[in-house]
Amino acid sequence: MNRTFDGARRASALLVLLSILAVACSGSASQSPSAEPSPSTVAVTPAPVETGEGGLTADGKVLIRWYVGLGTGAQPDQIADEQKVVADFNASQDKIVLSLEIYQNTTAYDILSTQIAASNPPDIIGPVGFRGFYSYGDQLLDLAPYIESSGFDVSDLDPALLEAYKEGFGGQVGIPFAIYPSFIYYNKDLFDEAGLAYPPHKVGEKYDGKDWNWDTLTELAKKLTVDTGGNDATSSAFDSSSIDQWGYYMQWTDPRGWGTQRKAGQVVDASGNAQIPDGWVDAWQWYYDGMWKDHFIPTGTENRSDALGPDNAFQSGNVAMDFVHLWYTCCAWPADGAPPTPHWDIAVPPSNDGTTTAKLHADTFGVMKATKHPDEAFEVLQYLLGNDTLIARYGALPAVKSKQAAFFDALDARFAPNDIDWQVALDMLAYPDVPSHEADMPNFLKADAAIKAFQEKLITTPGLDIAAEAETLRATLQDLFDEAR
Amino acid sequence: MAATPGEATLARGAVGSSRPRWGFARREAMWGYLFISPWIAGFLLFTLIPMAAALVFSLTDFDLRKPDAIHFIGLRNYERLLVDHGVQSSLLTTIRYILITVPLNLVFSLAVATLLNSPQVAGRSAFRTLFYMPIQIPLVAATLIWAGVLNGSSGWVNQALGAVGITGPDWIGDSGWVLVTLALIGLWSCGNMMLIFIAGLQSVPSELYDAARVDGAGRWATFTRVTVPLITPVIFYNVLISLVTSFQVFIQPYVLKNGIPDDATNLFNVNLYREAFSFNQMGYASALAWVLFGVILVVTLVLFWSSRRWVYYAAER
Repeated sequence: MNRTFDGARRASALLVLLSILAVACSGSASQSPSAEPSPSTVAVTPAPVETGEGGLTADGKVLIRWYVGLGTGAQPDQIADEQKVVADFNASQDKIVLSLEIYQNTTAYDILSTQIAASNPPDIIGPVGFRGFYSYGDQLLDLAPYIESSGFDVSDLDPALLEAYKEGFGGQVGIPFAIYPSFIYYNKDLFDEAGLAYPPHKVGEKYDGKDWNWDTLTELAKKLTVDTGGNDATSSAFDSSSIDQWGYYMQWTDPRGWGTQRKAGQVVDASGNAQIPDGWVDAWQWYYDGMWKDHFIPTGTENRSDALGPDNAFQSGNVAMDFVHLWYTCCAWPADGAPPTPHWDIAVPPSNDGTTTAKLHADTFGVMKATKHPDEAFEVLQYLLGNDTLIARYGALPAVKSKQAAFFDALDARFAPNDIDWQVALDMLAYPDVPSHEADMPNFLKADAAIKAFQEKLITTPGLDIAAEAETLRATLQDLFDEAR
Repeated sequence: MAATPGEATLARGAVGSSRPRWGFARREAMWGYLFISPWIAGFLLFTLIPMAAALVFSLTDFDLRKPDAIHFIGLRNYERLLVDHGVQSSLLTTIRYILITVPLNLVFSLAVATLLNSPQVAGRSAFRTLFYMPIQIPLVAATLIWAGVLNGSSGWVNQALGAVGITGPDWIGDSGWVLVTLALIGLWSCGNMMLIFIAGLQSVPSELYDAARVDGAGRWATFTRVTVPLITPVIFYNVLISLVTSFQVFIQPYVLKNGIPDDATNLFNVNLYREAFSFNQMGYASALAWVLFGVILVVTLVLFWSSRRWVYYAAER
């Protein structure tokens, strides 16, 4: 009997141990402070509308959920306009209710994947670039039948761009909404302070009598890089450990973007193997030396420092030139309510062996294949595609050519009294990166993560052999491409 | 075989005499179960059933983006993780992190607890509150604050070191330092462990200290020969919990993940999350979760087994 009792006691003890372990493993026994959800995982808009059966609201209207965060759209000053767009639509409707869900970009992909797995996907996603389309392309609805049945006018759209949302997706999964050429934003105050001329606004123009190429930009950027003692990076007294102003940066891009600034290329060749495109190792070496040898580009640590943070270097006022896309107007000064109006303008990127490349982004919205109400979702899609408020707030050059002039007028009004030369942006449309730096790759998500890991290494580690690192990246990509075969 | 009259009487007597106690025990048990029923319900709904579901998922190729295209693949996920370099490296990183953080946390918490248990320290209650307060700060916010404080370029720590002529390391950007940094950040929330140690220290009978003093023991000898042996159950508990939570660490490395080279913070749970939610391979991630559970279970059992040799329970001896 005692033996039985001992056995039962042991079994109970084991069960208790397993239970404690299971609960501990579930995280509830963590010693860590209360595990509040990360701010980035919280929807920043009100909770979605309650639904009844079949994607209908309690009062029988069709509920369409619009999911924002995969690209631009989650910046604080964009949210109010998005909410107004939704409110305006709902006020005009008696059969559809549009519900807005906004997530921070860092977690938006994870959350969308989880919603799809839980059979609870939104109806519309976007604005989202090609990266998002490659991630979820097979989950998106072919819009061709809806375009045809609704008579949606695509004649004012660039046919090549329209085709870009069809090729490789098994259907017309997107309709062009916005395009974002890239160029150099420059801080006029920092140039004036240094007594330097502004960079060229036209392709082919010289700078200070020299060709506007990457060597010229390097020299200029070094003159605009200043330590706390006021010495610039060309001075022998320059102290690279106490920089408080940098000459150049490429904000919010990755090594594919760094390489493309010199020459467009793809990391996958025609037979599906990994490659490092021509000129990219040189471009990476230049960028790397800019961080660690010449110090005119901020390193990863400097980018997260108080001088540049948080994660918006040009807006800090401590970066003289920043190569970014038109969408950065979302986040460049002045944000609504910001007191000072710094002086900035835009310039053309330098040429490489006489060739200028300005990488191009494009955004649009997609309808999820799993939507219960495709017709209503397409109706909302048309509303979003034609909405001028969104276009202006996203800093998105309309894909519809007839709307482009009005778009720049709106930007001028927003950034007044700054007089920005928007012709630079229009001119850059003639120098897109072909193939795109955002082009599809086999095993896309893992390959993209490997490229970002390569980037993290370069921006945080001095003393690297870039050619060897590039070869390691190529071999890693090859493994990932092989895994997907 | 029939019972003898004597045995029958004994049996009846035994039953009869145990009835009131059994009834009391049952009532007590019933109330006990009633009180813990919310926990049991929560355990079943939010832990056991999801664990079982994860076990089933681990035998499938469940892709988050394609929940309808799920297939049973047997043990293939488990075979894959045996040759997955990412899994091996994340496990090694986790072990390295544990080897740094568990001893550091234990020694620091015990040192603080000993200090705050000393009658010679004025304002002990205030200090205990201050040391416990960081627990109330959400971990994400705390990690972001520490990321600023430890920034290699503009962080206060390196500025302070620089003021005395020391060049501080790049705490977060240097892959050789980042695990140490995570462990140091973890010290900030040592409040729980400290409180448990204080409770253990206060349970040591004061007459043992008197006896040690009479025998001529100094402070260090008293601490190592009297205090430490008598609080070994508390040390055991803290080691166990610290090990389990260190295996599971996720939020701090996940928040700090940008700007860290060589996947230096790719700890097991971060890798698991990445497989599940970045690469959408929920079936494979479920297998990883079960492997982690197995590893923690084995470590826990080893710790329980070893406790017979070094944990002292006064009531048992």
